[in-house]
Amino acid sequence: MFDRIVAHLRAPVRIDPALDERVMAEVSTLPTPTSGRPAAAVWRWLAPLAGLAAAATVLAVMARPTTPSTHKLQFVLVAPQAATVSLVGDFNDWDAARTPMHPLRADGSVWSAVVPLGPGRYHYAFLVNGSRWLADPAAPTASDDGFGTPSSVVTVSGSGRGEGT
Amino acid sequence: MRIAALFAALTLATRVAAQEPRLERLDSAARAPVAALLDSARAAGLPPEPLIQRALEGTTKGAPADRVVAAVRRLATDLGRARDALGQSADPLELEAGAAALRAGASPGALAQLRRARHQPLMVPLAVLADLVASGVPPDSAAAAVLVLAGSARDADLVEFRRAVERDIALGASPAGAATGGARAAAGVTDLNSTARTGSARPRRP
Amino acid sequence: MGIDRVATSDADLVRRVLAGDSGAYAGLVARYRDRLGRYAVHMLGNREEAEEALQDAFVRGYRSLGRCDSPERFGAWLYGILVNRCRTAGARATRRGRMFVHDDAALNGASLPTAIERTEFEDVVRWALARLRPEYREAFLLKFVEDLEYEEMARLTGAGVSALKMRVKRAREQLQLILREAEHV
Repeated sequence: MFDRIVAHLRAPVRIDPALDERVMAEVSTLPTPTSGRPAAAVWRWLAPLAGLAAAATVLAVMARPTTPSTHKLQFVLVAPQAATVSLVGDFNDWDAARTPMHPLRADGSVWSAVVPLGPGRYHYAFLVNGSRWLADPAAPTASDDGFGTPSSVVTVSGSGRGEGT
Repeated sequence: MRIAALFAALTLATRVAAQEPRLERLDSAARAPVAALLDSARAAGLPPEPLIQRALEGTTKGAPADRVVAAVRRLATDLGRARDALGQSADPLELEAGAAALRAGASPGALAQLRRARHQPLMVPLAVLADLVASGVPPDSAAAAVLVLAGSARDADLVEFRRAVERDIALGASPAGAATGGARAAAGVTDLNSTARTGSARPRRP
Repeated sequence: MGIDRVATSDADLVRRVLAGDSGAYAGLVARYRDRLGRYAVHMLGNREEAEEALQDAFVRGYRSLGRCDSPERFGAWLYGILVNRCRTAGARATRRGRMFVHDDAALNGASLPTAIERTEFEDVVRWALARLRPEYREAFLLKFVEDLEYEEMARLTGAGVSALKMRVKRAREQLQLILREAEHV
């Protein structure tokens, strides 16, 4: 009986090849893996703000620096109603065309962009459908400059040495 | 006389704009004043990049020129105050984070204390201080908490501390309590990581 | 007989991915999908959860590909990631009160999970496996189904060789007990 069980368990199992596509879809949004040990990954998830159609989230994935002082950060926004989303901030001269975000899922509800950042403190916001500004509710808010819409802040620490701009 | 001043201002603006092509994106009413502020900042040895970014942010968001100029002027002032508090050796990242902390409500004295307490780059502690105050922690509590940790905590620990405080606040803790309690807990962990032995923590034999 | 056509090795594919060719990873996924899937299906007892764990493992494998010390043994390395993912999935399922419990009292009368192949024997096997403690089931599958050496199992699971031998032994004993009971039902 035991042998029969083992024989049955060893029989090949066929997994739906559609899994390959799902894996590659996720993989396509990730940065190229690099050799060596990455620093600890840091995740923050947010519940949607009441009244907002979209919830904003920043996932700070501290991958191994691509240059000695650069870290790649992934910004993620949950925006099911959005047709386009841009990441706009100090790191791209507030140019809405420079960092379009890409849908992470087929249904287009989750948007993502990966940006290499040197040490520093950056103001940023999401621009949805070219007209609506969204801050990141979970990220610290930047001081109000009277521009009409708030921005968020992300801090990237250096390697311990003081790296200037 | 007036025309000469106007001419001088325009020349300056042209010169600075030539050095800084991104200013072309600014509203024409904002361009000259911002250029002048950049020039003053450079002359004072303050970093111009945060000022440029602030101007670009306001412009992209469609803010009126006077708001853009006001924001840049305020930031320039805060950068100067940060330099006064942190000293001439402060690097541009420290100045920017220090300006944010001051803007959020931290006192120059707190910045100076941080400088004395920590012999490493201050960018992250200052950023954490700014973010804590932005989250609602009273400036004094935030400064005290960061000061407790500043001497020994690594940058990553400070960031983790800030996250923990925000989590606690989101769960209903008072901002001041979250910061003070969190700092004590974090400092305790830091102490355990050092080799100090706390004999009183051991249970005693009856 | 002719020269065997050798497919691109794991090491080659890994090297290509690390060099920036993310599409090369699809080759590794296709190569290991069914093999690793078999373990996940039997470990979790549930095709849907198995695929989820499998997908998760592949994505994590991609992310940490740089940490694969021997690219020519990519499969074994990915295995370790999958074993871990199955542990997490199993714990999660238990908390959610899903079928997969090893509490005998709860299982008597519990309905079997919906399955792909519905022969009675297969249902019995799945049910029997489900009644094992997760660590026994894991050790049993790795030894008897995946044919791993104890040293390899130790590397994958983090448990010692003697602990693993004990678990495999207990798994065998318990399975035989369970099946003997089943015969009397």
